[in-house]
Parts: sequence; C-alpha cells; structure tokens
Amino acid sequence: MLMQLTLGGLAQGAIYALIALSLTVVYRSTTVVNFGHGDFVMAGAFLSYVLVVLAGIAFLPAAALAMIAMFVLGVLFSKGLIRPIRGGPHIGLALMCISAGYVLRGIARMVWGREVLPMPPVFDMEPIFLGDLVITGDAVFIIGTVLVLLILFFGLLALTDLGKMVQAVYQSPRGARLIGLNVERFNDFSWGIGAALGALGGILVAPVSLLHPDLGASFLIKGFAAMTLGGFGSLGGAVLGGILLGLAEQYAGAYLDSALIEITAYVVIVLVLFIRPQGLFGRKAVVKV
Amino acid sequence: MPSPRQRQLRTWAFWAVPVLLLFLPLATNAYTQFIVNGMLISVLVTLGFTLVIGNLGQLAFANTAFFGIGAYASAILSAKLGLPWIATIPLAGALGALGGFLASSAALRGIRSYYLAIITLAFGELMRWAYLHSKPLTGGTDGLPLPREAMFGISLSDDTLKFYIFLGVTVLLVKATLNLMRSRFGRAVMAVRENEIATASLAIPTARVILVSFIWSGFVVGCAGALFARHVGHVFPESFGMLHLIASFAMVLVGGLGSVLGAVLGAVLLTALPEYLRAFPGMEELFFGLIVAAVLVTMPMGLASLLRRLSPIFVERYYREES
Repeated sequence: MLMQLTLGGLAQGAIYALIALSLTVVYRSTTVVNFGHGDFVMAGAFLSYVLVVLAGIAFLPAAALAMIAMFVLGVLFSKGLIRPIRGGPHIGLALMCISAGYVLRGIARMVWGREVLPMPPVFDMEPIFLGDLVITGDAVFIIGTVLVLLILFFGLLALTDLGKMVQAVYQSPRGARLIGLNVERFNDFSWGIGAALGALGGILVAPVSLLHPDLGASFLIKGFAAMTLGGFGSLGGAVLGGILLGLAEQYAGAYLDSALIEITAYVVIVLVLFIRPQGLFGRKAVVKV
Repeated sequence: MPSPRQRQLRTWAFWAVPVLLLFLPLATNAYTQFIVNGMLISVLVTLGFTLVIGNLGQLAFANTAFFGIGAYASAILSAKLGLPWIATIPLAGALGALGGFLASSAALRGIRSYYLAIITLAFGELMRWAYLHSKPLTGGTDGLPLPREAMFGISLSDDTLKFYIFLGVTVLLVKATLNLMRSRFGRAVMAVRENEIATASLAIPTARVILVSFIWSGFVVGCAGALFARHVGHVFPESFGMLHLIASFAMVLVGGLGSVLGAVLGAVLLTALPEYLRAFPGMEELFFGLIVAAVLVTMPMGLASLLRRLSPIFVERYYREES
C-alpha cells in the first residue's frame, strides 16, 4: 500500500516538479511569475492531442513538435507583450500573464467547448506485478522522462558555457549586461524554455488523464505550491517541492480523506507561507527602499 | 487640487448620476434591467478590487473569496435562519470584512507581492472547496436557492425593485469609498503603495493602513456578494472561481488602476458585452484576455486618465501620474 502510493506520488510529483521548474526558470531570469502558466501547460497537452489524434503523428515526434511550438510561443510572448511593459509595476506583468493564459484557454474552448477529451494511452505495456505493487507503463514512462530531462537540464546548466551564461544572468542581470551578454535575448530564451518545459508537463499528463480547457488552473496552483515549498526561485527546490507535493497528495488522500487531494496544494501554500515563507531552500527576500 | 467651485461641481456631477438613474426602469425591458442590475454589482466588486490592487498596490486575489463569502452568507442567513434578505446585506458585508481581515493577516506577516498573490489565490480556492464540501449548509454542488420574499407587496424577484435596492447600496458604498480615499487615511494608503518603508518612517502606522484597506475592500465586496445572491436567486460554488478574476481585472484596468471613477466606468462598460458573447464558447475568455493585454500595452492608466484630461471635475486628488 505504502509502496504503491509512493510510486503514484512520484509519478504525479515528477509532473509537478516539471511545472514548478518551468515557472522558476522564468522567475529566476525575469522576476516575473507567470500567472498564466497553467494554461501554457494546458496548451501543450492540447497540441499533442491534436497532433496525435487528429494529425495521426506518433506520440514522440508529436510531443517534440508541441514543445517546439510552445517554445516559439513563449519567445514571442516575451518579445511582443512582456518587453513593452517591463519596468512597470509588477501588477501589470502579472495581469499580462493572466490575460495570455485566458487567450489560450479561450482558443481551446472555441475548438472543444466544454467537452472532456480522452487521449489514447501511449504505452500499452503490461503492468509489472512485484508482490502487491503494480507498476504501470505510464508511471515508468513519466518518471523516466522527467529524470532524463532533469539530468540534462542541470547538466547543461552546470557544465556548458551557455549554462554558465544563463547562471550569470540569474545572478545579476546588470553584471551580465556589463560583460556583454544580451540579457533581453536570454530573457526571451527563458520564456521559451519555461513554456516548453511546462508544455512537456501537459504532454506527459495527457495520456493518463482527461483533457479539458480548464485544466490550467489546477496545474498553476500545483506549480505554485511546489515552488513555495521548495523555496521561491530555487531550481532544485522546485523539483524537490514538486515531488514532495505529489507524495503528500497521495498520502493525505489515502490515509486522511480522499477529498483532501484537491486541497493539499492550497494547504501546503498557506502553511509554508505562514511557518517558513522562504521554503526549504529559499533565501529570505530583502526589501530594498 | 480642485478649487471650491470645482469641488461643488463635482458633488453635483456625483449626485446627478443616481438621480437620473432613478428613471432608468422606465426605459428598459426585463432583460436590459437584469444586465443593469449586474452592472451595479460589478461596480462594487471592481471598487473593492481596485482598493487593494490599485490604491494599496498589493497583488491580492482574495476578491473572489470575499464575493463568495458575502453571497453564501446572505443565502444561508435568509434560507436557513429566515432573515429578510435586505437585513443580510450588512451581515454579508461584515463577514466579507472578516475575510479581508484574514487576508490582511498574511500581508501583515510580511507576505508581499507574488507571495501575497499566491496565498490569496489559495484562500479563494480553499473557500470554494469549503462550499462544495459543507453540503448541509451550502447545498454542495446543487447550490443554495434563496427563499421567495416580498417587500412593499412586490416580489423580490422583480428586477425593478431589485434595481432600486442595488442602486441605493451601490451609491452609498461608492460615496463612502470616495470619502475614505479623499481623507487622511486615503493619502496614507497611496503613500504605502509608493513606498512602504519610507511611509513607516513618517510614523504612519502602515500595518493599520493595510489592515483597514483589506477590511473595507472585504466589506464592499461582501455586500456585492449579498446583492449577487439575490440577483441570480441561487448560489453555486462555480460562480466564485478564478473565472471571475480576469473579468474583474479587465474592469479595473480599463477604468484605471486605483481610481474610484475608473472602477465604476470599467465595470459599467465591461458587464454588458460578455452577455452577448456567452452564446459563443471561448469568446468570453478570449475577449477579456485580449482587452487586458491591449489596455496594458497602450493605456496603462485606463479611461479615467482620459477623463481627467477632459475636465478637472474628474480629478481625484491623489493618483499616480502616468509614468
């Protein structure tokens, strides 16, 4: 029972980790929290649905295409709509993100209305039985993909020159600008990467759950909860927060009350912000006059 | 700073609007009247919202929570305790104010900006979960119908009677908010927005300013919730989700952040349009999304700033100049 819950929690948590990581990538470089990110995730899921079910492309190339499309969308959003209002109050930036999310949701709803769509299962693998434990192909696939991606992401960040430049921009945009880095372009790039990573979260969720245009809101909250728990702005914290949240949901649902699964994320947010606002890995924010 | 003559003119202009509106039911049919009533509710919701995000400059999304609390309080008090609906309005406002107190307790603990946005978002969603899961009190997914009631021998489902009650409540709360924002307190609110630390150094109790702003915002929106409960006659949990957030944002922004006049303008302009878009799925979201993006890029201070240029009557004494 415990093992089964842990496996389920890890699979869910891997997706939350991905979403929290993609939010953090944007936040770290641009200090903008993308309040429309849930809808970016939803858009990724729908794009892969369209490519697989309607265009008949195989799942893996469809997933790659959807991620590329979302990368482009993220870059365009940053260039066209975030740049003109940068430097304004953060309320404006938050609103811009919310409205972008609404546009994506509106488009999804125009095509699919209020229907709920099932995606065909991708990996029809026979489940593996280990004693009481049932390991499904989806769980293996989700955890495996996220693991590979995380190794790739953190490897690139720590070992390559490009990764070091990105870190420089994270540390101090002004300093990075002084040594000749094009910070604006790095910001656009971060938006693209954030959108693509978030989209992958949606793509991975699509085969195991139902799709509907309102999917975004719950993803957004899960991402926030994971980020808050791990420490706002910490890349590693986002990943750990996501996994812990996935596990907490499963345990709370099984041992306390199944209705609690829906609100675990909210409870986590409220508790963390009241008890330890900086989260597990965050540093205390310093307010400047 | 307006001259005494301008101030007098402004008072006239203010009272002319409700007096003219008294004759509005003569010119409307049932459907238009229903939409107009909805506009009055939007005015209050937008007003409460702009107080916190515009005047106080805090990213707080607890508005949907206050609205839901007010609506459910009104419905429960009249359906379960048999209170006359009109008496539930101030009580709903009081409970909304309590919600404002809770939300500001987060702000007072040093939670600001994105953290405050996220915690207030969570607060709203937790409330919605509570409506769904306290079935004996709220009816769960089925919602809670308001009992049929009559006043002066006229049924309270009559939109014209509702209009006069809504108008009275709205005018009262708008006037009170205007006065509040023009007082010493209002100036302190703007000072906190511009620079909280510098304001605190002037011995202005910033914590109290934040607390009172949230409480008043909760009160106004809570009252709006009570009106909403009667407006639709039946409260459902879905009415208080995140969907309403963007509409409120659009209203605040189109009118002008942090302006009472702007809140009224934005709410009136943007309430009717989606009614006609509702028939087309997705259009409502698309419309609000595009309008917010367009306003942000082209006209960050909203319509109120255009009116200010037209006539000094519309100058509210303290507002952020276009940057």
